[in-house]
Amino acid sequence: MADENVEKSEETAGAGEAQAEAAAAEESVVATANPEPESGEPGAEGAPEGESPAAEPAAQEAPARMIQPDIKFVREVMGSGGNDLKKCFQCASCSVVCNVTPDDHPFPRKEMMWAQWGLKEKLIANPDIWLCHQCNDCTAQCPRDAKPGRVMQAVAKMSIPSLSKPGFLAKGVGSPTALLLMTAIPVIILALVIGVLGGGSFTPEREVLGGVEQIVYNNFMKTIAIDIVFSTFFILGILVLALGVRNYWGMMKAHADREGIRLKTGGLAQVGPVLSEIITHKRFGKCDETKDRKTSHLFIFYSFGLLFAATAVSVLYTYGPLLWGGEGTHSPFPTIHPVKFFGYTGAAAGVIGIGLITINRFKHQQKTGMGSYFDWLLIVLVIVLMFTGIGSAAFRKLDIGVLAYPTYFVHLVAVLFLFMYAPFSKMAHMVYRGTAMAFARAAGRDTPM
Amino acid sequence: MEQKVGVYVCSDCGIGDALNLEALENIARNEYRADVVKTAPFLCSQEGSQIIKDDINNEDINTIIVAGCSARFNTDAFDFDPLKFVVERVNLRDHIVWTQTPKADQPSEAEEAAPAEAESADSQAGGEEAETEAGAAEPAGEAEASAGDSSAAVNENTQEMAEDHLRMGMVRAKKSELPKPQIEEINKTILVIGGGATGISSALESAAAGYDVVLVEKEAELGGWARKMYKILPDKPPFEQTRKPDIDEKIKSVQDNDKIRVITGANVKKTAGEPGKYEVTVSHNSSSETINAGSIVLAIGWKPYNADRLGHMGYGKFPNVITNVEMEERTSASGGQITRPSDGKQATRVAFIQCAGQRDPEHLPYCSTVCCLTSLKQATYVTESDPEAAAFIIYKDMRTPGLYEEFYKTSQDNPGVMLTKGEVTSISEDETGNIILEIDNTILGEKVMVAADMLVLATGMVTNALPAHIEDVTDLTPEYVGQWRETETQDGIIKEVIADPVVLNLEYRQGPEMPYLKYGFPDSHFICFPYETRRTGIYAAGAVRAPMTAMQSVNDGGGAALKAIQCLELTAQGMSVHPRVGDMSFPEINFTNCTQCRRCTVECPFGVLDEDEKGTPKTNTFRCRRCGTCMGACPQRIISFNNYSVGMIADQMKAIKVPEEDDKPRIVALICENDAYPALDIAGLNRMNISPFYRFISMRCLGGTNLVWIADALSAGIEGFLLIGCRFDDEYQCHFIKGSKAANERLGKVQETLSRLMLESERVTQVELAMNEWDRLPQIMEDFAEQLKEFGPNPFKGF
Repeated sequence: MADENVEKSEETAGAGEAQAEAAAAEESVVATANPEPESGEPGAEGAPEGESPAAEPAAQEAPARMIQPDIKFVREVMGSGGNDLKKCFQCASCSVVCNVTPDDHPFPRKEMMWAQWGLKEKLIANPDIWLCHQCNDCTAQCPRDAKPGRVMQAVAKMSIPSLSKPGFLAKGVGSPTALLLMTAIPVIILALVIGVLGGGSFTPEREVLGGVEQIVYNNFMKTIAIDIVFSTFFILGILVLALGVRNYWGMMKAHADREGIRLKTGGLAQVGPVLSEIITHKRFGKCDETKDRKTSHLFIFYSFGLLFAATAVSVLYTYGPLLWGGEGTHSPFPTIHPVKFFGYTGAAAGVIGIGLITINRFKHQQKTGMGSYFDWLLIVLVIVLMFTGIGSAAFRKLDIGVLAYPTYFVHLVAVLFLFMYAPFSKMAHMVYRGTAMAFARAAGRDTPM
Repeated sequence: MEQKVGVYVCSDCGIGDALNLEALENIARNEYRADVVKTAPFLCSQEGSQIIKDDINNEDINTIIVAGCSARFNTDAFDFDPLKFVVERVNLRDHIVWTQTPKADQPSEAEEAAPAEAESADSQAGGEEAETEAGAAEPAGEAEASAGDSSAAVNENTQEMAEDHLRMGMVRAKKSELPKPQIEEINKTILVIGGGATGISSALESAAAGYDVVLVEKEAELGGWARKMYKILPDKPPFEQTRKPDIDEKIKSVQDNDKIRVITGANVKKTAGEPGKYEVTVSHNSSSETINAGSIVLAIGWKPYNADRLGHMGYGKFPNVITNVEMEERTSASGGQITRPSDGKQATRVAFIQCAGQRDPEHLPYCSTVCCLTSLKQATYVTESDPEAAAFIIYKDMRTPGLYEEFYKTSQDNPGVMLTKGEVTSISEDETGNIILEIDNTILGEKVMVAADMLVLATGMVTNALPAHIEDVTDLTPEYVGQWRETETQDGIIKEVIADPVVLNLEYRQGPEMPYLKYGFPDSHFICFPYETRRTGIYAAGAVRAPMTAMQSVNDGGGAALKAIQCLELTAQGMSVHPRVGDMSFPEINFTNCTQCRRCTVECPFGVLDEDEKGTPKTNTFRCRRCGTCMGACPQRIISFNNYSVGMIADQMKAIKVPEEDDKPRIVALICENDAYPALDIAGLNRMNISPFYRFISMRCLGGTNLVWIADALSAGIEGFLLIGCRFDDEYQCHFIKGSKAANERLGKVQETLSRLMLESERVTQVELAMNEWDRLPQIMEDFAEQLKEFGPNPFKGF
């Protein structure tokens, strides 16, 4: 009901100014019956019956749409790394220098404006915030130092609670004050696994394997327990992300419908092309100011791939034989083993990648800023992950139990942290950015590569 | 005074190389019987000016002619008491030597620029092969010069040019008399009209400088708009935060000041007199008194644009649409609470529309300069009233001049201040009283609607110099705001404006108020002289003269006070105020020949001349700025200055030797001393070549051009007249406002006469030139000379 009136008054207003004034004065009485600033859900604007009439006139002249500026959102963006958001005076230098934006309705200028006005719905129901690769070319070139790249990232981060449910976890991950609590959760889980559920031991004995007395982590914490706990969280994460993708797609679709944009293809049809783009990191290569990020990110990307492969292979060796009644290989695997091959190369790529990423952050500090807590949480996590992983292997080989077990424990905490919070942390970008890319392609809104 | 004439020729800066100075000396000595004639190097040096001082002491020289550099340079070296000595500067260097073809050192350039001269000059030869020849000729020329016959070395045309200018200078000096300054006992009280931020500042500054002040305020209390403000714009570095107004402290210091007399609830009924002798009738408490004052600061401020004319923006239609002035008053009254008029509900969403009438040809075509800042300020009222409140500012362009940019930046950083460029296409109201704005062309990238609890229209400033009843500043009667009146005279129906009295009620022939140029702001020379008006001794300050903020108004008040003081001190010495500061001459009228034609009283740009019933002019000397427009206007030629008269300039023209040969035309250029003269200096300084056939006569203002000269000179064989003066009309740059325009109007008449005499009317041409257009000058002069050449010789030549 309300929506019909919105449309009606809009059309009248668009028709002619003089009459519109009088007409709108009467008719729009209902149009703004909702004076509440919080529009919360897109219901008010995006209700199904409102969609089709809105899409029709969009072809000729878009009708005026009621906007609901949200100061809380503005404050939140400013508090999440976009501190300089309000400095923007809309000169559009950012959109001009951006190499990854589509030409039509380029970002990040419009996002800057939307963010200044607190138009949350517009921002997060849009593929653009995730299409941004934080090259920070815009940040480097911004004449007023409004740091659009940082704002884009802050907004992207802030969209996660709306996508990955439960949203409070995302808020926790994004907040430095919650770090201790967020770390305590995996620590407690693992401690419980070791002490109560998994039958591991806090004072593990060495075991003679292959004729050599050596450290065996299996005694510290049973592999089966690890696998069960980690797989659970891994699968939960995938589920949350899948729901998040559905949410995101739905929002973008609803928004596109309101704008009168028709998708050319479905989302699935774009999975292939998007994956091929991700594998090659084509878009990343277009950054000017931070060109080297492509290389470092590729290292990390493939490192994760290799480590995932290592895990998968180890699972195969451990549990595969059980299927046909054989006996699985237990860790530690021999030095010459596919698991070890994937593990070593993955670790090497990871160390190089995260090393380069860290160096780049410092190198580009002047031009593009250091990045937010949200960024550094993942960087530090990966650093911890890599070094404790390597450390665990090395201390075991060197037979230094005092260091080996705690390192291994930290490593496990880090991995669990990563798995548990993947849908809520910066890790989520791999999925949501992919979704945004697919949507942009489907909507015919993409940059030629 | 019996003149004893000393002529001093400077031989430096290239003058001695380019000219035969001995021939010049001979002219002074033989043709003009100068008592002392000397040539010296570096006359501007201490030794140089000592020569003149010695002659003053030993030979009783009282008329000094310095033939050397421009009158604009080395003024300190030739600064002799104007009450004792006539000093005339003949500009040989900048206008002649530097604008003419160098003798021999640049033959190829010389050839290109002025082939005629190259042919006639012995030592000059065209072509590249002449280089060595010319180089060789120079030392020979110098040797000859020292031998007493240097004519072979100098360019004949340049020499003739210099000689004519010396002759003209001699005539001018000989015709000049020492000024007899009019020194009278004057009143040195400064009257400040208007007790707002500007007037208070003016009063305090004047008092601090030691002058008695009478401060007249229309309202019952001082303080003006500043007292109505909830907060004021930042006025100190770092220009970031608004603050509470401190006008009460200033009011108190005015009240505590012994030198300032405050009259509130008062109106000016009449302003009569002239600088130093104003008699201002002020009425208050149903009585009136006459205040004697020397000069007046007009600080009557501004009024908001009539928002009733903004019905299309919802004003008067929707209760929750208010103006920025009302916003200020409401916030001030509530102590910071932002509520809306319809239901007193707290307003947490307040929209502002910038340029509510400003920069709109239908309303106020100008930018009021403060409204953007005011809205930013009021936006902080909104955000300070409630942390969740927001102000939406919709603007055409944000204009926050100067250091206010810092305040703009601070406001931008405020999360609750939301800005967008945009065009508001409709304004409506919903049932809850909210105002719905529809905005197009936004930088949000689409057409949007936004709902606000209240809408503030950022209306602009209108000068209080406009009568209250005037609503449309775009449709004013010309020059003076008033009513058209048609009177039947023997010359037919005359349509003229009868100006409306507003505040000053001047007893001037020209009308009760000051002329405006645009939108009612009292006009002065718009580039160079803030505070000046077209009424000498009355200085406009603050928003009455241009839209400005309180901080700027305070500065303005101080500035205008200084102008008022200058006026008093100069007037006390019988001297002129700007731009001829210190000039002690004044126009004298020989009334026996006056025909009461009223030309002078009409044309005087400053309303100096009143007239009696018969039309006889009555001078008010201290209002005069000595431009000589009256002198040019008078068909009877009865207005003159001691040292500047119609006869003097006519004689200067007669001093020009007009040769028989047709290839040596003589063209007179009347050049305005404020722009054309320095422009020519700069052209010379840049060694631009100009035609050698020009003879320059420096004018105080082209407004002094008397038509009799043209007839005289043309009949004496002068080929043409080029009047080089300032731009006139709306974009005028004339230091005397209307001088160049008056000259142009007179010229129209003389051109008719020329046509009747079968002479080409273009022989007399006026060009408009600003000083910074000096590079155009040689071409203008060349074109005019070329045109005259096409016309052929003046048929009167030789008669």
